[in-house]
Amino acid sequence: MNCGEGIDTRQVDELFINLDPIQAGGRLTTDAMKAVLAYGDGYSVCDNCVKPFRLDHISKPPLADFHRDLADFLQMDVARLVPGARRGFQAVAGALVSPGDPVLLTAYSHYTEFLSVEQSRGIPFEIPADESHIITPDAAAARIEEVIRTTGKTPSLMFVEQVDYQYGNLHPVAEIAKVAHQYDIPVLCNGAYTVGIMEVNGKELGADFLTGSGHKSMAAPAPSGVLATTDEWADKVFRTTGIKGDLTGRTFGIKEVEMMGCTLMGVTSVGMMASFPHVKKRVKEFDRQLQHVNTIVDALFSIDGTKIQSEYPRKHTLTRMNTIDSFDKVAKTHKKRGFFLTSALRERGITGILAGSTRVWKFNSYGVSKEQADHVARSFIEIAEAEGLTITG
Amino acid sequence: MSKRSVDAVFQGLYLLTDIRGILRDTVPDHRLSPGQKKEAEKILGKLEKQVAILKEELLA
Repeated sequence: MNCGEGIDTRQVDELFINLDPIQAGGRLTTDAMKAVLAYGDGYSVCDNCVKPFRLDHISKPPLADFHRDLADFLQMDVARLVPGARRGFQAVAGALVSPGDPVLLTAYSHYTEFLSVEQSRGIPFEIPADESHIITPDAAAARIEEVIRTTGKTPSLMFVEQVDYQYGNLHPVAEIAKVAHQYDIPVLCNGAYTVGIMEVNGKELGADFLTGSGHKSMAAPAPSGVLATTDEWADKVFRTTGIKGDLTGRTFGIKEVEMMGCTLMGVTSVGMMASFPHVKKRVKEFDRQLQHVNTIVDALFSIDGTKIQSEYPRKHTLTRMNTIDSFDKVAKTHKKRGFFLTSALRERGITGILAGSTRVWKFNSYGVSKEQADHVARSFIEIAEAEGLTITG
Repeated sequence: MSKRSVDAVFQGLYLLTDIRGILRDTVPDHRLSPGQKKEAEKILGKLEKQVAILKEELLA
């Protein structure tokens, strides 16, 4: 069934339990799906845009209120919608990083954080992780000292992930930010895997900037996200235009330079806004999601040779497994080779794990019900048993 | 302008979206609980009303 010429209708989440690491938290709520139906046209939020002609001032649909609610939700002072957390990184780096500036990132920083530094012509310095795959305040302090010693400059910005994309580990952002602030280094906390999933308090984290991803963790269409900051930094990162056309003399009102004016002018902002009441509620129920992921991990653990590479018990639903000594042994002789696992899961109505993976792979169980978590757990054990692996515990 | 038919189209789409939500909630077996069956029955009843409005408005 097509939804346009050559475009198949996507039915992944209607037919399967979807454990895709980057898709789980962005699955739309029914209200967001309705908003998509009503606001799919381009510039659809601009019907009632009046002076001063800026997205965060539109009251119908209630985008102005939504911006204020987002800042409150994150315990920050000011928030703007951005086309993905990455555009938040870009805006902050664009405002704070000058060519040649050292910029701190971590061993688990997203590639778009690096690209934002590159675009601003900064020089990246990574804070290493410890053997548990955690970024520690001590490692941050040591790297800051080293960077100052070797470059003679204090880094103009530090990026740190609250939960990283590689291991799904929760890092001690508040303690790391405290260290950075001792050197007057502003901190951008990347909450792409946390904002909209679990409760996030920007003030408690000590974040000068906090980014969230609508399509990754706030049940919103892509590309969408939020950049929030404090009153101290708002004027810098959300500076308004002062440019003037030399022939026409045109000026451009109060458009914000780093935002490139208005950001999400249609279905993305309304989809995000429609999901927001549900998102506010679901972050308070995150413990239940942790129970579900631990149910799945415990089942995997019972398969001899299986290891977890993320911290355990899990503090987030994004999880990295190592099945080199279990499922990968089966893959070596199986007629479907490495594809046997994802194929067997698919037969049981489960998808989202990278096809062909039997060595090190990730899954994200965010959003599953208890019944679905039990089904996933049972399925892994059934597949292992069918392939002759030993189950213990 | 038939505002009534436009409203019926959107109401119908929203009701179908609610059914889509139930399908998503119950993957992979789509085995509905008694509560979900009752909810689905209510939604489908309302959907039939919207289809009837469309027939009345557009085909009469």
